[in-house]
Amino acid sequence: MATLKTILYLLVYPGFIFLFVYSTLCEWFDRKVYARLQNRMGPTHTGRFGVLQPVADIVKLLAKEDVVPERADKTLFNALPVFGLAVVSTAMLLMPVWHFDPAVPSFTSFPGDIIVLLYILSLPTLILFLAGWTSTSFFSTIGGARVLTMMFGYEVPLFLSVLGPAIMAGSWRLAEIAHFFQHKPLLLLPNLLGFVIAVICLQAKLERTPFDIPHAETEIVGGTFTEYSGKKLALFRLMTDVEMVAGSGLLAAVFLGGFPGGLVLGLVWFVVKTLFIIFLLSLIRAMTSRIRIDQVVSFAWKYLAPLAVLQLFIVILLKGFVK
Amino acid sequence: MRIAVFLPELLRHLFKKPATVDYPFKKLEVPPGFRGTPFLHPELCIVCRACERDCPAEAIEISTLNEADKKFRMIIHNDRCIHCAQCVDSCPTTPKAMDIDRKFEISAFSRWDLKEQWDFVKAVIKPKAPAGTSSADSERPTS
Amino acid sequence: MKFTIPIGPQHPALKEPISLRMTLEGEVIRDADIRLGYNHRGLEKLAESKTYLQNIYLTERICGICSHSHSTCFVQAAEQLLEVEPPRRGVYLRYLVSELERVHSHLLWLGVAGHEAGFDSFFMYTWRDREVVMDILERISGNRVHYAINTLGGVRRDIDETQRRNILDSLGLLRARSEFYLKIGANEPTFVARLSGVGYLSKEQAVALCAVGPTARASDVSRDVRKDDPYGMYAEVPFEVCTAQSCDVLGRTVVRVKELMQSYNIIEFLLKNLPSGPVAVRSPRRAKPGEAVARYEAPRGENIHYLKSNGSDKPERLKVRAPTLGNYAATIEMLKSGFVADIPLIFAAIDPCICCAERLVTLVNARSGEESTIPMSRLRAMAQERFLKAPVQKDAVWPL
Repeated sequence: MATLKTILYLLVYPGFIFLFVYSTLCEWFDRKVYARLQNRMGPTHTGRFGVLQPVADIVKLLAKEDVVPERADKTLFNALPVFGLAVVSTAMLLMPVWHFDPAVPSFTSFPGDIIVLLYILSLPTLILFLAGWTSTSFFSTIGGARVLTMMFGYEVPLFLSVLGPAIMAGSWRLAEIAHFFQHKPLLLLPNLLGFVIAVICLQAKLERTPFDIPHAETEIVGGTFTEYSGKKLALFRLMTDVEMVAGSGLLAAVFLGGFPGGLVLGLVWFVVKTLFIIFLLSLIRAMTSRIRIDQVVSFAWKYLAPLAVLQLFIVILLKGFVK
Repeated sequence: MRIAVFLPELLRHLFKKPATVDYPFKKLEVPPGFRGTPFLHPELCIVCRACERDCPAEAIEISTLNEADKKFRMIIHNDRCIHCAQCVDSCPTTPKAMDIDRKFEISAFSRWDLKEQWDFVKAVIKPKAPAGTSSADSERPTS
Repeated sequence: MKFTIPIGPQHPALKEPISLRMTLEGEVIRDADIRLGYNHRGLEKLAESKTYLQNIYLTERICGICSHSHSTCFVQAAEQLLEVEPPRRGVYLRYLVSELERVHSHLLWLGVAGHEAGFDSFFMYTWRDREVVMDILERISGNRVHYAINTLGGVRRDIDETQRRNILDSLGLLRARSEFYLKIGANEPTFVARLSGVGYLSKEQAVALCAVGPTARASDVSRDVRKDDPYGMYAEVPFEVCTAQSCDVLGRTVVRVKELMQSYNIIEFLLKNLPSGPVAVRSPRRAKPGEAVARYEAPRGENIHYLKSNGSDKPERLKVRAPTLGNYAATIEMLKSGFVADIPLIFAAIDPCICCAERLVTLVNARSGEESTIPMSRLRAMAQERFLKAPVQKDAVWPL
């Protein structure tokens, strides 16, 4: 019985089918908001309001020819997209949306799971670097190098800003952090600076404008994705979509007070809060232009990291006063 | 140097109707002078062949079907036509025998579907008023 | 460690095929090499087998964005040879379309610069407002590109009072939007960070490498054919030549936006002082033997057409020097010591119209310095000889 339930969880609800449906819905939402901000229509005709457009894109990619470069490392080249999708799907299991009891730690919710989640979410960057490296073409090598260079910029501010609310709540467990802020919602306001920094760093992690240098279309053709085609590219696209959901789920759990209310209401809160964060991400995407790789690193270390440290100071001072 | 200077404009457009026209479900009106596809009014043509000579793309072909009965055939190759309307400008008759309409959705699956043909009898030039030059002479080169 | 990266002939940054081979060291460009010829269509040869009237439509199709510039430059040269002088109203209408084309081309370029820099929202907005100009041009001339409004001896269509009023009203909207784009372009920090300091071309280099158009004007070289050698009615129209001192891509953006505002003023002047009268005069079809050179300020720079006639109704030789061809040498200079990330922007900043620039190239033997033009049959034979002799190579590098 328990095995059946686990299989059901893995395949249907917090598992693949739910992820597939929800991440394509989030991609649709992002594209529609981006288009409306630019006074265009966005996806319109596939399905009602174009909801099926990302699904149609993935199905189309699955049907295309798969080309592997001659000098590429075949095993690694073929395995990386699958591995990437597996990693971000695992990240979703740690979201405090379902199947947890705040009092009792379990497999999907334990002290320290915020650190595990941040670590799992930094793996896709390495996977993208490896993807660029094993493709052995000029453009993908440059793309891979840029992916790693960018990681030196945004990882530290992201970690620092996410740790702020954790310190304030006094726990390293996502479910407890969310629980803490659900009971004291006013304490979310001092964390606003951290929220802004985390949203900008999430944009950099997801490699969207202004930080989409690694796969900048007009400069290095496809960057890390240049040599990928067909099914592997479809899996990479699905990986970026699920990464978006996982990242915004993390931010919603830490900064926006989590997803209270059990199974159905929790799911509704999850949808609402992650769509809000994705709206902010689309807004930043529409508002700015791409910046150069050296400017990313200097921007991250000159502005983001000091502000994140400042946020930590504020949190520590507040904790001292409130105590 | 201000941050987010584009933001108010973007947010305002979130609530406006998109600027895109949902073609092909909705179509845009083309203005009256639009140069679409050329066609012939066969009852007015005097077969001076000015249009055939002046066409930059050699898209007009006039051939004689029967010399005695003065029957001619004009074929307009719409796959070669560049829609410049020079044929209309070169046509010397009043009213003009070559005309251009406003149709632009003329794609077909094969170039042979794009040829239009008219078989007609050569028209007689109506007598002109004696004073004033007409536009039917002097345009023709003397080759 | 140096390695060579090819940009093109197929690349998402390029709208037309051209091959740029950059030698890179890390992310810095050390050397650049431009190879042309992918878009060569043999237009100059084709022009010798068509009459002057048909050639107006042929030259128009050298380019889609600057179609009127090529057509007008050709007509200026042809009218010199045919010794026909278009009437005043025709001249005003012809250059009204020229200024409208300049507006549409600069708005297009602003969008393209935004797209190359990754600023897609800017791209969408400028192209949306460009539709206003395209609609005006469609109403006046019958088509959105390839206006075909020139004819030997004037223009083919007239504008009536409603169209004139319509254009004047749209100018107000366009002015407001252009000022908004100037504000965005100058103030959005990510955009300015991409554009400033990129693609530096000093004033001496711009003069020495024969840069033309906004590329040169952004390096403080005040050259504009409309002021230096006025054609049409430009001697009577009050306007200024716009220059900038920053010598980089940001300067070129500023120059183009300033030129937009100047064009609006010129259009307003032309519409308010439109003389009455016929729009065209009857023109002969044959030209006496002779040569004519016509210069024209296209949106991208100075356009030169050379026309030689031999007494028949077809030209003997047409030679086109498009502005982008003049800017290629300056581009190579600008690309050196830039970043890889800036290649699309530097290249887009000269506003490349690669299909305009594909003319006959002479091959220069690097060792002996002698020039030769090789006919196509000989080139084909040489290529087949090499192909038959060479072994099958993996990782082939171009040996030229």
